[in-house]
Amino acid sequence: MSNDGRQEGDVVAVERLLVPLSDTVTVRQTVGYAVQSGLEAADSLECHLVVAMPYDDDSPESDRYSDDADGLLSRAQNWVEEDAGGADVTIETTTLGADEYLFGPRDYAEIFDAYADEHGIDRVVLDPEYQPGVTAQMLQPLERELDRIGLAYDEAPVDRPARRGRLNGGAEGFDRLFATFLISYGFYLLLGDPTYWFDLVTGAAVAGIVAVSLAQVTFTLPLDRVQSPLRVVRFALYIPYLLWEIVKANIAVSVVILRPSMPIEPTLTRVNSRVRSGLPLTALANSITLTPGTLTVRANNQQLLVHTLIPGARDDLFDGGLERGIRFVFYGRKSAAIASPRERDDAEIVGGDEL
Amino acid sequence: MIETLRFWAIVVLLGLGVLFTFVSTVGVIRLPDVYSRAHTASQTDTLGAGFALAGVAVAFGWQHAAVYTVLLLFFVFITNPTAAHAISRSAAETGVEPILAAEGEDGNETEGDAETDGESR
Repeated sequence: MSNDGRQEGDVVAVERLLVPLSDTVTVRQTVGYAVQSGLEAADSLECHLVVAMPYDDDSPESDRYSDDADGLLSRAQNWVEEDAGGADVTIETTTLGADEYLFGPRDYAEIFDAYADEHGIDRVVLDPEYQPGVTAQMLQPLERELDRIGLAYDEAPVDRPARRGRLNGGAEGFDRLFATFLISYGFYLLLGDPTYWFDLVTGAAVAGIVAVSLAQVTFTLPLDRVQSPLRVVRFALYIPYLLWEIVKANIAVSVVILRPSMPIEPTLTRVNSRVRSGLPLTALANSITLTPGTLTVRANNQQLLVHTLIPGARDDLFDGGLERGIRFVFYGRKSAAIASPRERDDAEIVGGDEL
Repeated sequence: MIETLRFWAIVVLLGLGVLFTFVSTVGVIRLPDVYSRAHTASQTDTLGAGFALAGVAVAFGWQHAAVYTVLLLFFVFITNPTAAHAISRSAAETGVEPILAAEGEDGNETEGDAETDGESR
């Protein structure tokens, strides 16, 4: 495929491959395939091993990920050297996306494409089990996005071991089971009577069934024995604060509505929040909507499009009190102390055509 | 003594609940478009229902049913923003233009075309 053009001169044909890595059971085979197929296609191979980081650098999870990424890259580098034998192989390793958040397959496809342009990559070799970050497997959507962008890719033909049981992380599986059991048992007893033996027995049975059947799908984040209960406690602390904000906003909006002149000033604003997508972002968007005067119209990745009714509510939004609250709940007190969206230039008033 | 106090607490809480529900109704009628109406519609759910349920909890006193009212409020607080967001988002997707205040002035003049934009089919 790369016979035209490049081979004409006396330059040695080089096949440049991009291999996105993630910690899967098939990553070893993928690297092996990349080296082998690359050397078949041309005399010498330039192998770019990259790890795409799902979080940006200020994100609290980012440290752990960058350590993992470095480990994976150095292992992969050894594999390439091992497979190449004496052949002419150049290895480049990088982590991508450390300066931005990556969410969907589209973001990944785009940074791969940018990297490919920059380094003249011929082909991307994909691991069939490719799974960056904490999101679910995304090979198919990623392939669709690569098709759309027009970046050539190739799926490594690997022998998959019998699908790894999802319970294999023993402690992790137990934690999920236990947490689901505890939550459903607690809820059952809240509705029932915790002092009546019949409710205690039936509750345990029901919670057991729920835990066994639903534990695998209940949690989107990996559980942590210290952090997860702590989050629940911090969430309980957040509720009074949220209620207070709701009462304040309600009074402010009521006053405006009851004034005969009704001095409303509807604006559409865009706020780039600094919380992770998924549960934290949902909690933030819902808190914003719960306080009258601000209404989340769209939540697109980290960008929230918020309709504000009165200037006071808009100022509160730009001061980022709720955002700090959510960061406190999910990441702890230290992370809560960040600059407000206004100070870090993440908030702006936009026109109606942004919808 | 305690009983009269409790009675008046219930009356005040229910009164506040009714007040905020009333304000919310006035807001839905007065405000110009679907987006700003969604703001005030959530008042009914947050403080309107909140105070009313608080009154109910006080009326029940220290017994199991009071727990249910707190639980009820919790679920209202989860579903309300979800519904408000769903409404405003579907409005945005079907291309309903929000009425926005011009930069730097008040939005008073938007009242004139209140009936047309808010209820566009």
